[in-house]
Amino acid sequence: MGENPISIHVLGICSALAITTKIDTAVVMTIAVVAVLSISNVVISLLRNNIPNKVRIIIQMSVIASLVIIADQVMKAYMYDMSKLLGVFLGLIITNCIVLGRAEAFAMQNSPGKALLDGMGNGLGYGAILIGVAFFRELFGFGSIYGGQIFTDQIYMSGYENNGLMILSPGAFFILGLIVWAHRAYTNVIDKE
Amino acid sequence: MRSDAYTITFTMIVAVILGLGLSTTADNLRERQNLNVELDIKKNILSVLGFEQNANSTNEDIQNMYDKNISEIIINSTGEIIEDNNVSSEDTYKIYQSRDGSKVTGYAIPIAGKGLWGTMYGYFAIEPDVATAKGITFYKHKETPGLGAEVDKDWFKNNFVGKKFIDDNGMLVSIQVIKGFVSENDPDSKYKVDGISGATITGSGLTTFLKADLQKYEPYFAKIRKLNQIESL
Repeated sequence: MGENPISIHVLGICSALAITTKIDTAVVMTIAVVAVLSISNVVISLLRNNIPNKVRIIIQMSVIASLVIIADQVMKAYMYDMSKLLGVFLGLIITNCIVLGRAEAFAMQNSPGKALLDGMGNGLGYGAILIGVAFFRELFGFGSIYGGQIFTDQIYMSGYENNGLMILSPGAFFILGLIVWAHRAYTNVIDKE
Repeated sequence: MRSDAYTITFTMIVAVILGLGLSTTADNLRERQNLNVELDIKKNILSVLGFEQNANSTNEDIQNMYDKNISEIIINSTGEIIEDNNVSSEDTYKIYQSRDGSKVTGYAIPIAGKGLWGTMYGYFAIEPDVATAKGITFYKHKETPGLGAEVDKDWFKNNFVGKKFIDDNGMLVSIQVIKGFVSENDPDSKYKVDGISGATITGSGLTTFLKADLQKYEPYFAKIRKLNQIESL
């Protein structure tokens, strides 16, 4: 809880902004990140004693990039509509600092079992924030939760309107900022100067 | 510290294994992916031509509905139908024709052009009189959500239905997306649709490329109109 990649380390922000307009995209993105992060952690951990130190970052990147491409291809084949929505951001998991960060900081020093748990934990931590942000953006931006309409026509009739700001990126910044603040205040994390 | 030879060998082995993995995956999934892309195009054509599909139509339903109702024709720049697509080197254009038995119920043509942030892709559907719009749809664009992206919302698309792109003398005038609302007193209101506020450039882009695309098909459509006229006499 004290190690959440987004709210504590402030990693992976760009995708957190881009694909959180609706909960269902956030959920699919979470699954993809958890899968890529767990598998890459395990593979790197298995190879950790054999990877030459000079080229370790290149090897880590190749493993991660391959996994992301496979995930992207599988999505295109089996979940075409969703892959259209996620678009380029699924491919951008490659540049998500969380994945390389965990490979370098954790998988290189630990056994495959531990690395798997670390990957899943970080992926889910990332996903929790994504889904949290998406919850508020979808609720106030579209008036629905997970595709189901929450605000009824009556509420709209009485003058309520969906908040367009929530659909645009700044809406995500505000919510993300609030979540980071709340989480840090709760866990008492202070950046070391 | 390991030797350079080890480093190179290790890197190469990893590269080969990953490369093999990737190409196998891509190869195995390609057929399915292409099918998805094709189905998506078919879905768009069906919906612009007014065939209802619901969310739980399976891929097969869509394929069947498409095969039953839609036929594709390819024309060249002088409006002649080309039977054999493979031999020609000139520009060719595709038309999707919907039929009910032997009666044509509509035409759909692909449209594409610059919006504000990038190219917009869609289909424009035409009534069998070849002068009236039946519908419009966009399946790919990069316009601003809430502003230009309203082009794929129903309120905007429905404005096109019933508008004319051919004037009373049989000349192509296309349909113009104007700034603000179309006034009922405007004698040309049947050639105009309401614009999207805050998305003037998207609208004028659409006006420009819709006309350009209609012009490409005009030689063929002019012939159809002439035939229709003869038949009605």
